[in-house]
Amino acid sequence: MSSRSIDLPQGTLDLLILRTLSLEPLHGWAVSERIQQISSDVLRVQQGSLYPALHRLERRGWIKARWGTSENNRKAKFYELTKAGRRALEIEQDAWQKLTAAVSQILETA
Amino acid sequence: MFLHDLRFRLRSLMRRPAAESELDDELRFHLERQTEKYVTSGMSEAEALRRARLEFGGFDKVKDDCREARGVSLVESLMQDLHYTARTLLRSPGFTTCAVLTLALGIGANTAIFSVVNTVLLNPLPYPHPQELLAARHNDSLPNLKDLQRQTTSFASSGGINIEPVDFTGNGEPVRVHAANVDAGLLATLGVQPMLGHWISAVEDVKGGPLNVVLSYAFWREFLGADPHVLGRAIRLRDKSYIVIGVMPRDFTLPRELADVFVSFAAGYPEAATERDVHFMHTYWRLKPGVRLAQAQAEIAQVDRRLAEEFPDSERERGTLLMPLHESLVGDVRPALLVLFGAVGLVLLIACANFALLLMARGVARQRELMIRASLGARNGRLIRQRLTESTLLALVGGAAGLIAAKAGTMLLLALKPAELRHLDTIPMDARVFLFVCAISLLTGLLFGLLPAWSAARGDIAEALRENERTAAPGVSRSPFGSLLVTAELALALILLAGAGLLIKGFLRLRSVDPGFNPANVMTMYLQLPGTRYPQISMQTNFRGELLTRMNALPGVQAAMITDLPLAGNFVGHRVVIDGQQAPAVGAEPLVQTLSVMGDYFGVMQIPIRDGRDFAAMDREGQPRVAIVNETFVRQLLPGLDPIGTRIDWARSNEPHEWMTIIGVAGEVKHSGLNQPVDPAVYSPFSQNDEAWRKWMTLVIRTRVPVAGLVENVKKQVWSLDSQIPVSSIQSMDDLLAVSVAEERFNMLLLGSFAALAVTLAAVGIYGMVAYRVNQRTHEIGVYMALGAQHLDVLRLVMKDGVKLALLGIVFGLAGALALTRMMVSLLFEVKPTDPATLIFVALLLAAVAVLACYIPARRALRIHPVTALRRE
Repeated sequence: MSSRSIDLPQGTLDLLILRTLSLEPLHGWAVSERIQQISSDVLRVQQGSLYPALHRLERRGWIKARWGTSENNRKAKFYELTKAGRRALEIEQDAWQKLTAAVSQILETA
Repeated sequence: MFLHDLRFRLRSLMRRPAAESELDDELRFHLERQTEKYVTSGMSEAEALRRARLEFGGFDKVKDDCREARGVSLVESLMQDLHYTARTLLRSPGFTTCAVLTLALGIGANTAIFSVVNTVLLNPLPYPHPQELLAARHNDSLPNLKDLQRQTTSFASSGGINIEPVDFTGNGEPVRVHAANVDAGLLATLGVQPMLGHWISAVEDVKGGPLNVVLSYAFWREFLGADPHVLGRAIRLRDKSYIVIGVMPRDFTLPRELADVFVSFAAGYPEAATERDVHFMHTYWRLKPGVRLAQAQAEIAQVDRRLAEEFPDSERERGTLLMPLHESLVGDVRPALLVLFGAVGLVLLIACANFALLLMARGVARQRELMIRASLGARNGRLIRQRLTESTLLALVGGAAGLIAAKAGTMLLLALKPAELRHLDTIPMDARVFLFVCAISLLTGLLFGLLPAWSAARGDIAEALRENERTAAPGVSRSPFGSLLVTAELALALILLAGAGLLIKGFLRLRSVDPGFNPANVMTMYLQLPGTRYPQISMQTNFRGELLTRMNALPGVQAAMITDLPLAGNFVGHRVVIDGQQAPAVGAEPLVQTLSVMGDYFGVMQIPIRDGRDFAAMDREGQPRVAIVNETFVRQLLPGLDPIGTRIDWARSNEPHEWMTIIGVAGEVKHSGLNQPVDPAVYSPFSQNDEAWRKWMTLVIRTRVPVAGLVENVKKQVWSLDSQIPVSSIQSMDDLLAVSVAEERFNMLLLGSFAALAVTLAAVGIYGMVAYRVNQRTHEIGVYMALGAQHLDVLRLVMKDGVKLALLGIVFGLAGALALTRMMVSLLFEVKPTDPATLIFVALLLAAVAVLACYIPARRALRIHPVTALRRE
């Protein structure tokens, strides 16, 4: 495993999943690939936490699932963002930005 | 949001099989896709698969987490746990049976006693608005009751009742039934209506009113064939014709009396009903809504004061003390029931401790299995939950079995019940009892399952896997928790044993009290002369004399009669004045028991005459009046005087006094009960009494040998004299003696069996622990023996722990007993709750049982062959 990869901080996985799904509906494997790709392999998603997170978000009503055909022509479960999910993403994104801004401010000045 | 969540969970649950396969498909797709990716990047198929699997982690764990995330896992995994638990329990029937049986005993005994507590103490009285109902502590007379009713405003209504045995005739064999002499207000006070017809109205309830009768449901069924047209029919009671005007409902019961028929006191028995100073009615009162007991008591006290001023000679010492009806009914049994309930609670604790020990032993035996499951990804919480499921399932099954045991137990209790609980015909198992069983079963399962589960789950997986079976988890097998349980069991058992020991000792003391007569081979039976046909003393004397002559003519029979038997619970009290002594103030003369006798009463009962002479044939009607007093009479009323020749009379009898001369002093008789002090008593001949109302008599018959058919013979003799007189209450004096201590016997038997149960359970507990440890240490013992240890050394090795714990438990138990047996004071007769002899005895007994319980499994250690033990490696 790459020595550059880091584990995700608690609670950020939900945000990343929502963000990834905000562009298009994806299946689980694609979500993990996408996160890894976009973060230039820095962030690696453990399958052990990805799938429970997807199911948890589905239960909350932020994403919904439907079965579709995958890029390699197989039956796969696709997730897409719901309206509630879109709202949640905005709120979470906003909160995250405030948090990181505040944290980096402290790190730079202190 | 919440609704969505709930819908989602429910849907997931409903389509569980579908969701399950979807989850499987989803994860499998991921694995395939990842493998594909690695293959594309140039790996071999096998290598790619291996890599993908490795990355993915525990497939089952991910599924588990997903289920949990979906929110179905709680119910679902519970089902899984239940399924798994049921399977594993069925696979070890020995353990399951032991656990269920232990709990069934504990829970069953608790439920049985709780059912009684529930029925007697918790259930409301079977009358509407029972909180408004009061009872007076002391009996009263009808004239007083009427005055109180007229002069108070606190009560919605009130009524009185007195039970009188009367003869019901004209329906085959004469039968003695219980007539309730009531006033019109009684039924309104209780708030009940007859099922058929109507109750005695205030207009009818007067001197000279019509002779009407209201029947109890049982009487109506038994004697009148449940005739629906019974209203208006005439029946013969007390040798008079009564018209049936009503039938009571089936479920109607009086607060404390048993009655077959209800008649107006004023109309049916005007001679007694107008006597102000004959206080023998129970009175019941219903408060007006909103009136408090204290207010009512204050108001009634004012009327009491007025009555005392108006009728000083009879009412001076009278007073009406009101108390809630429920309290007056259960106040006497409450202490005993609560002690029994507490005791049975301790039994349950012991059963629970055994249960926990069983679970721990099983936990250790299954240590490896659990550890392997843990290493395969099952989380600690899940493992604990599974073990809790097991203990709870066991406890619930135990509870269900306990319910069956409780049903049997309550039937046993009913068979043994003392007079105080005679109203208890059934002990229903209502919703509250079921709730109680569920609650204690669940609590037992969770609480006593949690500790062993937790202590097992703490173990280190790797360590357990490294170790082999022989030494598996010594930390658990000798955990302080197990030792604590064994110690606690013995301590609790000792407390129960001490309680039982004290009751047994008290009971033996009570039984060894000399009643003052010899009860062996004495038969007794009750008769009553109908007042209509035997209105005068001379007629009664003729009947009695003739009956005694005929009885004494039977071979082997010596007969006499008395008004009221010792220990039967009745006597008539009179105030007495002594000739030559300054009479005390009117109403303050000493009260004595008065008994009329005929025949050789003292000879038949073998009551010694201490001084003077016995009654003789010459002491009859028309001769100088004579009396025999008991020793207490002499001690209290004639201290330092020669009683023989002293003359006494009833206070306030017609002047001038017709003095009775004391001709003898009889030995003390425990008339009111073996645990009661002896009251002063005066015996006089039936024939010299001017009290024709003493129509009742008890025949006492001493037989040298048990005479078969004696009772039938006696009845025949009675009926040959008068075919309309019922003979009832036929019992031996021994039985009467036994009945008089039935309550103490009940308490003793119950607490004794709880103690026996507790000791057995505790012995099983300590036995199990020692047996288990011997088993665990087989190898060690083998080595020890191979090194030349003697039998005694081995015994010491394996018994040391158990005996130490037992002794510790006994010491704690003694401390607990000293603290707790104080609550039993009211149940003990002439035994201090800290009686050292009893405490020492039970401590030694329990120690002996504990040592035996250690020794039996320890002996197995002696049979260990060193070579076999070592080979077990």
